[in-house]
Amino acid sequence: MTGTPQIEFSDVDKHYGSFHALKSIDLTIPKGQFVALVGPSGCGKSTLLRSIAGLEKISSGTIRIAGQTVNDIPPRKRDLAMVFQSYALYPHMNVRDNLTYALRLKGIAKDERAKAADDVAKIIGLEGLLDRKPKELSGGQRQRVAMGRAIIRQPKAFLFDEPLSNLDASLRVRMRKEIRALHDRIGSTSVYVTHDQIEAMTMADHVVVMQAGVIEQQGPPLELYERPVNRFVAGFIGSPAMNFVDATVTDDGTKVVLELQSKPTIAIAGQLEPGRKVTAGLRPEHIETGDPSAQDMAPIMIGAAEATGATTYLFSDDDPELIIVTDGANLIKQGETVGFSIAPERVHLFDPGSGRALTQSGG
Amino acid sequence: MNDRARNIALFAVALVLAGIYLFPLYWMYVTSLKTNSSIFAVPPEFLPGTPQWQTYALIWDEANIPRYIFNSLFIATGVTLVTAVVGSGAAYVLARYRNLWIDVALFVILMLQVLPPSLMVTPIFVAFSSVGLLDYPRIATILAISAKTMPFFVILCRAAFMTIPRELEEAALVDGNSRAGALFMVVLPLARNGILVAAILIFMQGFGEYVYSTSLIADNRLQPASIGMTNFLQPNVVTWNAIMAFAATYVTPILALFVLLQRNIVSGLTSGALK
Ligand SMILES: Nc1ncnc2c1ncn2[C@@H]1O[C@H](COP(=O)(O)OP(=O)(O)OP(=O)(O)O)[C@@H](O)[C@H]1O
Ligand SMILES: [Mg+2]
Repeated sequence: MTGTPQIEFSDVDKHYGSFHALKSIDLTIPKGQFVALVGPSGCGKSTLLRSIAGLEKISSGTIRIAGQTVNDIPPRKRDLAMVFQSYALYPHMNVRDNLTYALRLKGIAKDERAKAADDVAKIIGLEGLLDRKPKELSGGQRQRVAMGRAIIRQPKAFLFDEPLSNLDASLRVRMRKEIRALHDRIGSTSVYVTHDQIEAMTMADHVVVMQAGVIEQQGPPLELYERPVNRFVAGFIGSPAMNFVDATVTDDGTKVVLELQSKPTIAIAGQLEPGRKVTAGLRPEHIETGDPSAQDMAPIMIGAAEATGATTYLFSDDDPELIIVTDGANLIKQGETVGFSIAPERVHLFDPGSGRALTQSGG
Repeated sequence: MNDRARNIALFAVALVLAGIYLFPLYWMYVTSLKTNSSIFAVPPEFLPGTPQWQTYALIWDEANIPRYIFNSLFIATGVTLVTAVVGSGAAYVLARYRNLWIDVALFVILMLQVLPPSLMVTPIFVAFSSVGLLDYPRIATILAISAKTMPFFVILCRAAFMTIPRELEEAALVDGNSRAGALFMVVLPLARNGILVAAILIFMQGFGEYVYSTSLIADNRLQPASIGMTNFLQPNVVTWNAIMAFAATYVTPILALFVLLQRNIVSGLTSGALK
C-alpha cells in the first residue's frame, strides 16, 4: 500500500529534560493506511503519537501532516482526532455533547450537530444513550463514545493511544475488528498505539516496532514476523515468543550446534564462518517434533508439557527452556526424549553481541 | 453492644466539645436579648427573662448597622472577586506544571500564609500610602486582605484542579479548542465546586476581617462592621446587650450561609472537585 504521505517524520528528536524520549525518528505514513506503533512500556509510543497531535513539542526535526510542516501549529489547527486510553470523555457533558464538541467549536449549528450525533450513534451502536452522562455508561460504551467523538468529523488522521487496554479480552477482540472496519469504511489514515503485538499484527497494514525511543523496524506485519532485523523485533513479534538459543557454527559452516543439554545440530539456510558463536532464533510454532531416531531429527528432553486441547506446549528440560508448539493430538509426556527439526530457512540467526540478524531466513 | 457503648461515649464527647465551642455564640445571642440589669445578675442567668427584641430595632439605626454591613459586604465581595480571579489563574498554573520554579512558588505561597497581618500591616500601610492607594481606603483594604487570603485559596484551588485529568484538556485541544477555551469550557466547569467552596470561605474571611480594615480605613463611614462594633463600645457606658445585638446582626447571615452550604463545603474540601 502506497499513497501520498499523510504524516511524515523526518529526523525527529524529543527530549524531556535530559531524557531522550525519541531518537531521530524517520517515519512516513501514507494516506489511508492503518499503522500500528508497538513496543514495550516506556519506549516512546505515546510520545510519538502525542507529537503528531501537537500535545508534545518536538525538540528537533520536522513533522508534516498532509504536506504541511506542523512543528509550530497548535493541536486545534492540526485537524486530527484522538482516542485516549482513558477515553477522556468530558464528565460534565452528556454523550451527545461529548460527540459533537468538536463540531460546536467549529461553529456548526445545533440541529446539524444533533443530526450528526444521531448518525454517529447509529454507526457505533450508541442509540438511546445520547442523553446519558459518561459516568452512567459501561466501559465498553465509553470506549464507543470516544470512538464516536473521533469519527464525527473528517479529520486528517485518527490517533489511537491504547484505546482497548481497559476492556476485557473478548470485547477487545470484537472492538479490534470494529475499529479496523471503521477505518476501511471511512478510508482515513490511522495511527494506533498498542503494546499488544497481536493487536498490531491483526489490525495494521504497517507495523512500527519501537524500543527506547528508536524505531527498530517497520514494515507489513508478516515481513516483521518472517524477517526481523534484530533479536529485539524477533522476540517482540510472535506469540509465544521466539526461542533464543546460544549456538556455534559447525566446521562446514552450514549447520549450528545448539547449546542445549542434548547438543542438537540443525541446518541453516546460508553459510557462516565456522566456529562462530551465534544466537539462534527458533519460533515455537516452526519446530516439528517426531521420532528422535529418525534421520534429520535432533533429540531433545522434554521437561514439561501443557495440553490445552487445540495445541500442546512442550518445554524442554533446559535453562532457558525451548518452547515448542505442537498439535493437540501429540501426546508427549514429561521426561520423554523427542526428536525435533526445523526448516533451515526458518532458523533466524543473530549476532550475540549486537543482536543484529545475520542471515535473512525465509527469502 | 461494646461498639454501641463506644459510639454513645464518642457522641457524648463530641456534644460536650461542641457545647464548649459554641457557648460564646449562645452567650452572644442570650446577652443581646437581656435587659441591662439581668446581664450583671449573680449568679448569671442562662436564659433571658423576656426577650428584649427592641434592642435590635434600636441599634439598627443608632449604630449605623446598614452602612457597616454594606461596607463589610463590599470588602468581602471585593476580596472574593480579586482572590478568585487571580487565585484560580495561579492555582491552575501551579497545578498544571511541575518543575523547580513551581515548587519554589508553592513554598513562597505557603510562607505568605504564615506571616501574620499584624506584622504585614505596617509595610503595607507605608507602601500604599506612597502610591496614593490610601485615598481609596476600601480598595486598599481589599487588596491587602486579598494578599492574605490568596495563599489559602490557591492551595485549595490547586487541589481541585489537580483532580481533573490532564487528558480531558488535551482532548479538548485536539477537538479544536484553544488553551484558554479548554480552561473555560472543560476545566473550570469541573473545578467549579472546589472553587466555589474556596471562594465562600474567602468571603467569610473578608467579611470578618479586622486588622487591615482598622489600620487602613480611617473614615468612619467607610469602615466595615467588624470595626463598627468596636466604635460602638463607648468609654463610660458599656451597653453589652446593644453590642451583642450588633454582633448577632453581623454574624447571623454569614452563619446561616455556612449552615446552608456546610454539606457542599465539607464535600468540596475533602474531595476537591466533584465529578
Ligand atoms: N512529561 C514527561 N517528562 C519526562 N519524561 C517523560 C514525560 N512523558 C514521558 N516521559 C518518558 O518518556 C518515555 C516514553 O514515554 P511514553 O509515554 O511515550 O511511553 P509509551 O511507549 O507510551 O509507554 P506505555 O506503553 O507505558 O504507555 C518514558 O520513559 C517516560 O518516562
Ligand atoms: Mg503510552
